[in-house]
Amino acid sequence: MRFFPSIFSITAAALFQAGAAFAQEPSPKAQTEIQLLQKQMLEMQTGMQQMQAQHQQEIAALKTQVESQQKVIDEFQKSVASTAPPMPAGPNDKPPAERGALFPTTDASVVAAAPPPGGSSPPTAFPTTDASVTTAEPPPASATGFSLTAPITLVGGGKTYMNISFDGQFAAAFSTERELDRLEVGDHDPQQRGFNARNVELALDGAVDPYFQGFANIVFKLDNENETSVEAEEAFMQTTALPWGLQLKGGQFFAAFGRINPQHPHVWDFADAPLVNGRLLGPDGLRGVGAQISWVMPFTWYSQFIFGVQNGNGGTGFSFRNPGEDGEFFGRTTLDRKLRGVQDFVFIPRWESSFDLSPTQTLLLGVSGAFGPNDTGASTRTQIYGADVFYKWKSPHAEGGFPFVKWQTEALLRRFEAGRGADDAFPVSEIFTDWGAYSQLVWGFEKGWTAGLRGDYLHFEDSRVTDDSERQSRWRASANLTWYPTEFSKLRLQYNHDFLEANEFLDRHDVDSLFLQFEFALGSHAAHKF
Amino acid sequence: MNKLLLTLTTLTVSAALAASAQAKLAVVATLPDYAALATEIGGDKVDVTVLAKPTEDPHFVDARPSFVVKLRGADVLIEGGAELEIGWLPPLLQNARNAKIETGAPGRVVASQGIRLMNVPANATRAEGDVHALGNPHFMVDPIIAKAVAQHIAQAFSAVDPPNAAAYLANDKKFETSIDAKLQEWGKAMLPFKGANVVAYHDSWVYFAHRFGFTIDTFLEPKPGIPPSPSHLAEVIAKMKAQKSKAIIVEPFHNRKIAEKVAASTGAKVVDLAQFPGALPNTATYAAFIDALISRLTAALGS
Repeated sequence: MRFFPSIFSITAAALFQAGAAFAQEPSPKAQTEIQLLQKQMLEMQTGMQQMQAQHQQEIAALKTQVESQQKVIDEFQKSVASTAPPMPAGPNDKPPAERGALFPTTDASVVAAAPPPGGSSPPTAFPTTDASVTTAEPPPASATGFSLTAPITLVGGGKTYMNISFDGQFAAAFSTERELDRLEVGDHDPQQRGFNARNVELALDGAVDPYFQGFANIVFKLDNENETSVEAEEAFMQTTALPWGLQLKGGQFFAAFGRINPQHPHVWDFADAPLVNGRLLGPDGLRGVGAQISWVMPFTWYSQFIFGVQNGNGGTGFSFRNPGEDGEFFGRTTLDRKLRGVQDFVFIPRWESSFDLSPTQTLLLGVSGAFGPNDTGASTRTQIYGADVFYKWKSPHAEGGFPFVKWQTEALLRRFEAGRGADDAFPVSEIFTDWGAYSQLVWGFEKGWTAGLRGDYLHFEDSRVTDDSERQSRWRASANLTWYPTEFSKLRLQYNHDFLEANEFLDRHDVDSLFLQFEFALGSHAAHKF
Repeated sequence: MNKLLLTLTTLTVSAALAASAQAKLAVVATLPDYAALATEIGGDKVDVTVLAKPTEDPHFVDARPSFVVKLRGADVLIEGGAELEIGWLPPLLQNARNAKIETGAPGRVVASQGIRLMNVPANATRAEGDVHALGNPHFMVDPIIAKAVAQHIAQAFSAVDPPNAAAYLANDKKFETSIDAKLQEWGKAMLPFKGANVVAYHDSWVYFAHRFGFTIDTFLEPKPGIPPSPSHLAEVIAKMKAQKSKAIIVEPFHNRKIAEKVAASTGAKVVDLAQFPGALPNTATYAAFIDALISRLTAALGS
C-alpha cells in the first residue's frame, strides 16, 4: 500500500527531470508547455503525498485495532491458563537464567542441528529443563530453507499438497517359448524374450480437501515393438469424513476382487500374474470406471463389506462387455452391447474378515463376486466367484520387516453364458464353467531377502476338444529369489515351468522360462497395505 | 435371510452397548513409549492400546487389519510423526474412517510437533540411506523431551475429556516431578562417562547421547538402514581401537552376531538397549525403562 504511491512519486520526479533536460533549448511555446507540465506534475505529487498520508493514518488505525484485540486475546488466554495446562514452551519462553543452566555437550553433530544455548560451567544439579528441545512451531521441512542451489524438495518434506512417486519395473526374459505373449497371461508380465518394460508408473496421491482424498496411477507401457502406450490405470477420489465406518469411492479403479487384482504389479511377490487372474478376470485385471461403497462393520474383529459398480466394458472388463480381439470372443462374433440400464453394469461385492491368531500371526479371509452382461449374446451374462486366504507370520524381533512367512491362495470360478453371437451366426449357445486357483508361499528369511514358491492350475470346460490354445487347461510351478537392497529397489530371479495339457487337437506343451526382474522407486515413501 | 439380519443387528447393538458402557477414554498409541506416557497421564481414566511391539522395528510394522478396528473406536491417537510411522499408519487411518483422530482433530496427538528434531538433512537424498527428511524421530529416549510430550498428551486428553482435565494435569505434574528427581540420579550415574565414545548399530541414540553427554558418531551400519559391510566394519574396528570405545549398543531387532564380532576384536562390550519400554525385562514404565538404559550402559562403560 505504501509502496504504490512512492513508486508514483519517483516516476513523477523522473519525468520532471526528463522534461527539464528536454528543455535545454526552449522555444517560448515549449516553455509554457513545460511550465504547464511542471505544474501538473507538482499537483500529482501533492495528490500522491495526500494519499500516502491517508494510508498511513489507516495503517495506524488498524494497528491500534489489532493491539486492542491482542489485549482481549491475552486476557482470554490468562483465563484459559487457569483451567488448562500451558502449551509446550518455546525456546524463548524460559527465563534467560534457566537457559544458561544447560548441561553442556561435546557432540558436534548435535550442535549443528540444534545448537544448545551458551553456558559452559557445569551446573551442580543435573538440569531438568532444556529450552532447546522444544520449538514453538512444528518442525521445519528443511534445516537450510529455500536456496537457489539446493534441489527443490517435491516430496518427503511434509509440506507438499501431494505425494509423488515414480516406479519403473523391468524384466529380462529367457524362455523356451518363442511367443512369450501367448504364454504369459498378464499385461504387465514379460511379453517377449529379452528386455521388457511393461510397467513404468507415476503415482500421485493426497488430500483433496477435508472431505476427499485423490489417487492417480498413470502407467507407461512399452509393447513388443517398443511403442509406448499410456494407461490411466487408476484415478479416483475417496471420501474421508463419512460417519458409521462408511466410505465412497468414484472414478477409474481396480475392482476389490480377491487379493492380487486390486494390487499394483510392483507389490506382487512374483514377476507375473497368476494364470487364473489373467485368464478369468483379464490380462489387465478387472478394473474400470465406476463407484464403490465400503463399510467397516462395527464388530470386535475386522470385517469389511465392499460393493462396487463398474461399466465393465472393453479389455479391462474382460469377461463382461468385452468386444474381444477383432470382434471375436469365445469363437463368437461379439455384439456391441451398449449400457441399457442398471442390469448392464458389473456388480462387484466383497466381504473380508481378519483375525489375529497370535501377536505374530494374522489371517485374512475374503469372498468376492463379479456379475454382469457379456457381449456374446443379446442377454447373456457372466458370473465370477472368488475366495481368498492370506496368512502372515512376522517375527516379534523383525528388522526392516524381516523375517516373515506369507501364504496366499485364491480360487476363482467363472460361469460364462456364451450366446450365438452377432446375428445368431454361431450354431449353439452354451455355458462354460471355468475355474482355477493358485497358492504361493513367500519366506522372508533375512533382511532384504525373500524366497517364493507358487503353484497354479487353470481348468477350462471342454478343454479336451478345443483348438483354442487360450482355452487349453494348464498348470505352472514357479520359484523365485528376491533381493531388496532397500525398500526402494528390487532384484528378482524367477523360474517358471509351464505345462499345457494335450487334447484332441493340441499337443502337450512344456515351457521353461527364466525372468530377471529389476525395479526402482523414486519419490515419496509408499505405505504398505496388509 | 431374516435370521442373518437378526444376528447382524444383535451383533451391532451389542457392540454399540459395549462401547457406551465403557466410558473410559479410548487411547491408541502407535508405539509403546507413547503408550507408557498415556498410561501415566491417563491413569484409570483411559484405556490404552498400543499397535507396535516393543521389540520390533518401528518403521516396518505390519498394517494388520485388526488395527483398523482399534483405530475405528479411538478417541485419541498418539503418533510420533516426522515420518516415523509413514510406512504403515496412512492406510490404517484411511480404512479406520474415524473423524475424532483425523489430522488436526483434538484427538490426534503428533508427538514430534513442538520438538526440535536433530539430524535434519540439508538435502533429502536416499543416497544417504534411510534418512528422515524431517529429522531423527527417535527422540523419546531423552527424558526432558518425554516431559514435553507428556504435557502435550495431557493437553490433548483435557481437550477431548474436559471433566477429567484436572486429573490429567495432576498426573502430568506428578510425572514431571518424578522425572526431574530421576534425572539427578541418571545424570550422576552418567557423569563419569562424560565425553566417552560409544558405538551403536543404528543411529537412533543421538538424543540420549546429547542429554547425558557422551559421544556417539560411529555406527555399524555404513548408512542408516544399510546392512554392515566387511570393509565398513574394518574401519569401525580401527576407529574404536583408536578412540578406546568400550560399548556397542544394539537393539532387539538388530543382528547381534555382527556386534559380537566387532566387540571380540576391540575388547568392547555389546550392550542390549531398546527404544521402547517393555522391550527389556521389567521396563513397563518410562522411568524403569530409562533406569535400565542407564544401568546397562554404565555397567559396560565402567568395566
